[in-house]
Amino acid sequence: MAAGSSSNVNENIPVFEYKDINTKPFHVGSFRTAWLEKLKPIDYSYEDKYEENEDADFAKEMGIAPETLDELKAICSVDTLRCQAEDEPLDTNVVPPDPTLQTLIQRKKKQDYKDTLRIDKISRVDHYQDELESLAVGKRPEDPVDLVPEGEIILSINVLYPAIFERFRYVRPHMTLQMLGSHSLVDLRDAICCISDLQVFGEFSNTPDMAPDFISKDHFKSAFFYFEGVFYNDMRHPECQDMSETTIDWAKTRDFPTFHKANMEDTRFYDLKVKVGYPYLFCHQGDCEHVVIITDIRLAHKDDCLDRKLYPLLTHKHRVMTRKCAVCHVYIGRWLTTNDPFAPNDPCLFCERCFRMLHYDKKGNKLGQFLAYPYVDPGAFN
Amino acid sequence: MPNGKAKDRFLKPLVADYEELLGRFQQTESVRFEEFTAIWRNMGFSSVFYGSLAGNEMREFCHLTLTMAFNYFLPPYSFQIRVGGLYLLYGLYHTQLASPKEKIRIALKDWEQIQKFYQDSVNSQHYDAVYIIRKLIAENAVLYTAMPQMLTFRVKKKPQHHKVCEEFRDRPERVKDLISTDMLQEVANIQGHHERLKASVLERSSIAVTQQDLPARLHSCVLEFLHWQDRHENHGDADHLVYAEEKAQQVESSNRAQLLASIKTKSYGCLAEASKSRRHRQVEMDTSISGTGYIKEATKYHKSRAPSLKARTNKNLCGEGDEQKIQYWLLSAAEEDKTALKRQKRKQSFRW
Repeated sequence: MAAGSSSNVNENIPVFEYKDINTKPFHVGSFRTAWLEKLKPIDYSYEDKYEENEDADFAKEMGIAPETLDELKAICSVDTLRCQAEDEPLDTNVVPPDPTLQTLIQRKKKQDYKDTLRIDKISRVDHYQDELESLAVGKRPEDPVDLVPEGEIILSINVLYPAIFERFRYVRPHMTLQMLGSHSLVDLRDAICCISDLQVFGEFSNTPDMAPDFISKDHFKSAFFYFEGVFYNDMRHPECQDMSETTIDWAKTRDFPTFHKANMEDTRFYDLKVKVGYPYLFCHQGDCEHVVIITDIRLAHKDDCLDRKLYPLLTHKHRVMTRKCAVCHVYIGRWLTTNDPFAPNDPCLFCERCFRMLHYDKKGNKLGQFLAYPYVDPGAFN
Repeated sequence: MPNGKAKDRFLKPLVADYEELLGRFQQTESVRFEEFTAIWRNMGFSSVFYGSLAGNEMREFCHLTLTMAFNYFLPPYSFQIRVGGLYLLYGLYHTQLASPKEKIRIALKDWEQIQKFYQDSVNSQHYDAVYIIRKLIAENAVLYTAMPQMLTFRVKKKPQHHKVCEEFRDRPERVKDLISTDMLQEVANIQGHHERLKASVLERSSIAVTQQDLPARLHSCVLEFLHWQDRHENHGDADHLVYAEEKAQQVESSNRAQLLASIKTKSYGCLAEASKSRRHRQVEMDTSISGTGYIKEATKYHKSRAPSLKARTNKNLCGEGDEQKIQYWLLSAAEEDKTALKRQKRKQSFRW
């Protein structure tokens, strides 16, 4: 027993805290060094390994003759896995007749059902939904300086949308970002696009043309991340406040372990100690809270996007339905009116054109009494 | 990863196929790649990827196949099954249809096990296994990750633990783990220390509290047990016979139970319908058949009266009548005709 447990003492190896749910906390930078120690540099490099070198190493290690090596290569080649003759044409889109494998039997059921349908409607949304993932695969930069170095860590982070309604709990709308280990938390913060950043507050019925000058993103710049008992605040701009003060003070009065503070811009992902698969918090605009989950940490691979400039990379984004103008049902709503005698319901959405046409005369004078607020649709980032 | 439901659907048949393949491989009692490919070709396993899978489903399916297959490459499976798992990974990686290819994810915590396996193969001179591992690494087929799967904190959904197939499990080596060489050495050291202390304290060291040759005896015990186990393994057929007999008895008793249950359902399934005068006291069927553990589906209560003379004549002479569905247009249907207002029954959508 004493001999067996020494390997678990190494904290840099991530293990499950709860099986298949999340891991215990570990330091990302040390995890990387742990992997790099165990592998030879050639194992994780981007170049193709030359076959002759590989064969020579193998023969030397095992001490076998070249003829045996050739025989071995012939036996283990991929051609032995081919299930039908070489010249037979194969349609991989169709399940072969008389399947014996269970998976194929199941798939055939679906295929037979599809054949019975007269019209097979493929939803356009579903069709292109996952295209984003494969968009940046295998990209190389023009300038070699921008190449992601070998042995770099790539993290996949899910940022969930703030309001998840009861009905849509099983879907968990989120956006997935891929980041490099050398990025800092401010890079992540800048990459998260949330519509609450674009909200324009204030009533603008009297001055409809002045609306775009007051975006919330410019006004309220504070934000923080919470990972493993540490609050990382964004202190880049002088007007940023430390939003985590209140929480830390409150926690001191209760039975909580003490929380710490750090600066977002000074922390890189390598310095973080996190759990994989465990939800953390990102808070901005004072009360817009997002759940952040780090789903995957791994070494960079040849087939990934290797252009530094393209990171943080968006790989998945849930599409949100946009709400259209109540009048034309064509354009996305830009204005929300209340107390409006012209509107059929209260509150009511209008697109720019319908709004102007209905509420203002040709000279731009306000007609009637109403309150108008600029509206940013959640689907604005689609 | 979106659409977790797809994974659940594909999981069971896929695991069934893997266990079929590995079961056959286990029966060949060899670890040669040629044997494996013979079974592979026999089952036509490359066709696992055929059939049009919409959109990203192909990529997710390939990912799932590799993840599931990787489970067979790790302990507690026996060495032969692990080699089979390795070959399976190799085969699936090369025959997959996703492009660019889905990689095999290896977590840091499993790397030790894999290195041990590699050393074992090298020591036992299994050239094909060693070659294949080296080839997979050389081809960049491996992603070095923190965890074997991407974790998205889906707590509510019951996590699908990989059920270890009992037939593939390696023989437990509990005795060897308990009395390892390190432990024996420690015991010997402690014994020596104890003897020296005793000698320095007492004048007469004839009092012996412990057995003098404890480590040697432990060692010989362990060896004896291992030899016995080996011999027993070869006479495993005797065990199997006994086991098979027990199983046969169990099967018999369950057959009898099934027979009883079916008789019961038949007798309670058809009910005599109460006459019209006793319409208010229709007979209800008791669908709770307890005690046998084999509960047949409750048969529907249906009218078992024979068709009337009028109906029979109609059927024989007038044919089936107009079978086609009449399209009812609201404008042209008669006012009293209520059938036009009924909604058409929607066609059943596909259920897996």
